[in-house]
Amino acid sequence: MRFLITLAWKNLSRYRRRTMITAGALAVGLLFFIFLDGWLQGAARESERNIIWYESGSAKVMTSEYLEDLKSMPLKYAIEDPAAVEQVLEGAGVTTTRRTVFAGEIFYGEGSLFVKVVGVDPQTDETIYRLSETVAQGRYLKEGDQGVLLGEWLAEDLGIQVGEEITIRTRTRYGAFQTLDLIVVGVLNTPNPVVNKGTAFIPLELADEALEMEGAVTELTLYFPEWQNPEDKIQSLQERLSVLPGITVESWRDLARDFLMIAQAKSAGSSILLILVFIIAAVGISNTMLMAVYERVREIGMMRAMGMKDGAIRLTFLFEAGGIGLIGAVIGVGLGVIANWFMVRWGIDMSTLMGHMDIGYRVVGSFRSAWHPQAIAGGFVFGVIAAMLFSIIPSSRALKMQITDCLRYQ
Amino acid sequence: MIKVEKVTKDYTVGQTKVHALRGVSLAIEKGEFLSIAGPSGSGKTTLLNLIGCLDKATSGEIYIDDEAVSGKNKKELALLRRQKLGFVFQSFNLIPVLNAYENVSFALSLLGINGTEIKERTCAILAEVGLEGMETRLPGELSGGQQQRVAVARALIKEPDVVLADEPTANLDSDTGGEILDLMAALNHKHGTTFVFSTHDRMVMDFARRLVRLHDGEVTSDERRAS
Repeated sequence: MRFLITLAWKNLSRYRRRTMITAGALAVGLLFFIFLDGWLQGAARESERNIIWYESGSAKVMTSEYLEDLKSMPLKYAIEDPAAVEQVLEGAGVTTTRRTVFAGEIFYGEGSLFVKVVGVDPQTDETIYRLSETVAQGRYLKEGDQGVLLGEWLAEDLGIQVGEEITIRTRTRYGAFQTLDLIVVGVLNTPNPVVNKGTAFIPLELADEALEMEGAVTELTLYFPEWQNPEDKIQSLQERLSVLPGITVESWRDLARDFLMIAQAKSAGSSILLILVFIIAAVGISNTMLMAVYERVREIGMMRAMGMKDGAIRLTFLFEAGGIGLIGAVIGVGLGVIANWFMVRWGIDMSTLMGHMDIGYRVVGSFRSAWHPQAIAGGFVFGVIAAMLFSIIPSSRALKMQITDCLRYQ
Repeated sequence: MIKVEKVTKDYTVGQTKVHALRGVSLAIEKGEFLSIAGPSGSGKTTLLNLIGCLDKATSGEIYIDDEAVSGKNKKELALLRRQKLGFVFQSFNLIPVLNAYENVSFALSLLGINGTEIKERTCAILAEVGLEGMETRLPGELSGGQQQRVAVARALIKEPDVVLADEPTANLDSDTGGEILDLMAALNHKHGTTFVFSTHDRMVMDFARRLVRLHDGEVTSDERRAS
């Protein structure tokens, strides 16, 4: 075995340039895989955080009917007695805030836009959401305000400034038309594009009165630390809420199903890159090993004549290919880690390139990567093993030849 | 020790059937220094390959130490070659990335011999073939004659019953070829190892103590000479 390893190692240096080109191709593949995977992981993790901080909290309590028809935001299915829900959730280790979400059309000048309007409680909303930290112009909402906060992209689309007046047309809980004349008190620039592009926030008190909610709200947002097992937590909350018929709790994961599906599809993209690495390994290593095998047919014949087993000869080529894989994997993972470190530390500001484009991720501006040790280790092992596997076919082809043909081979 | 009985070997080249050997019979005793001679295409390399268990006869039988080789499978033949046969090739067939020491010791590592013994035996055989001090040289740093000495050392280090050499001097000038033949004769004399080599070189034929002539796949003469 020691001899086989020595021979394989020395054979690696026989054609240094070829070895390095093959290893280099593998290294580039791994570099791109680690880079892209880290980037997608980073975008996914940041998106998850931004969904919780700006969109849905850890979970939401709603009526079952409201949840079924969530997209049309039907006020008639509101929670009639939010205080009862809060009482049930007391001592459950969650923070709560009330919200009323409804559809509206903003009129400004000659234009109008359909938006999601959220009635928030300025006192308690900040205990869960971080909207107040993202006020780019003006100020955050105050109780008693006859005002509205707009997402930055929405404000830009409308061409509106802080201090100007807009009109929101909507329907009350009972279907009657209602218009609200509001002063834009602030503009929010959150890291969540969904909030930036189509959401307006008004005080809950104002929404309650204008929509004839009579104390009802469409949802209660809950927050609990992420370290708690979300599935167990949701189940225990659901058990508590079972005393209130028709009330249900939905985790942020279920609420953000659209995003999770996109993120999943995009991570499949990194798997495709891994397949690309596999193809690079297949073509590069197979070709290199095929050349190596045919250059050494007479040597193989000599070794077989001396009584070396075919398995041992195959093992020599396996070790040699593994050596190329190891060099490629070390370089690829090394460069990948450096590139990923740069992306974790500084990221890339994509705001100029992307503008107000929404690509599914809840990330705006700077894209940062995350560390994904499993993918890095997996890429390393995969590179070495794939390289070894792809040496089997060429070496087997040479071993199929008669020994006498090998010795005569020119 | 080696018995070749009515051995034939046919090849098909394209549409043509070639009868490389036509019923060759031969007995080789231990310690012989035998040359198989004949012109190109006479079947000498084919006969050497069959004796060396590198190829299978079309008919007839070859016995090594009274054991018929035709019934043996690939693994058994590999084991037999590893333990009992040594090979010297016309073009040396050394592994270019291994130095002289490693090229020779490789034959012992196939037998699973321990490191200390490998070192002792390799250094001794290299000294015996006149390569002391050249252990760390790569084949590319050795002359043709020195490379063939490494090949002879590699064949002899495992103390085989027979060394089969296919035109061992063909790639060497006559002086160097003579030195290699002297070396093989000395080793044959010292160790009692049987040497069987093929040649079409008159000088090599004259060197052998037994000369078997082949022509068109048949033995035409078998003469023994006094040593």
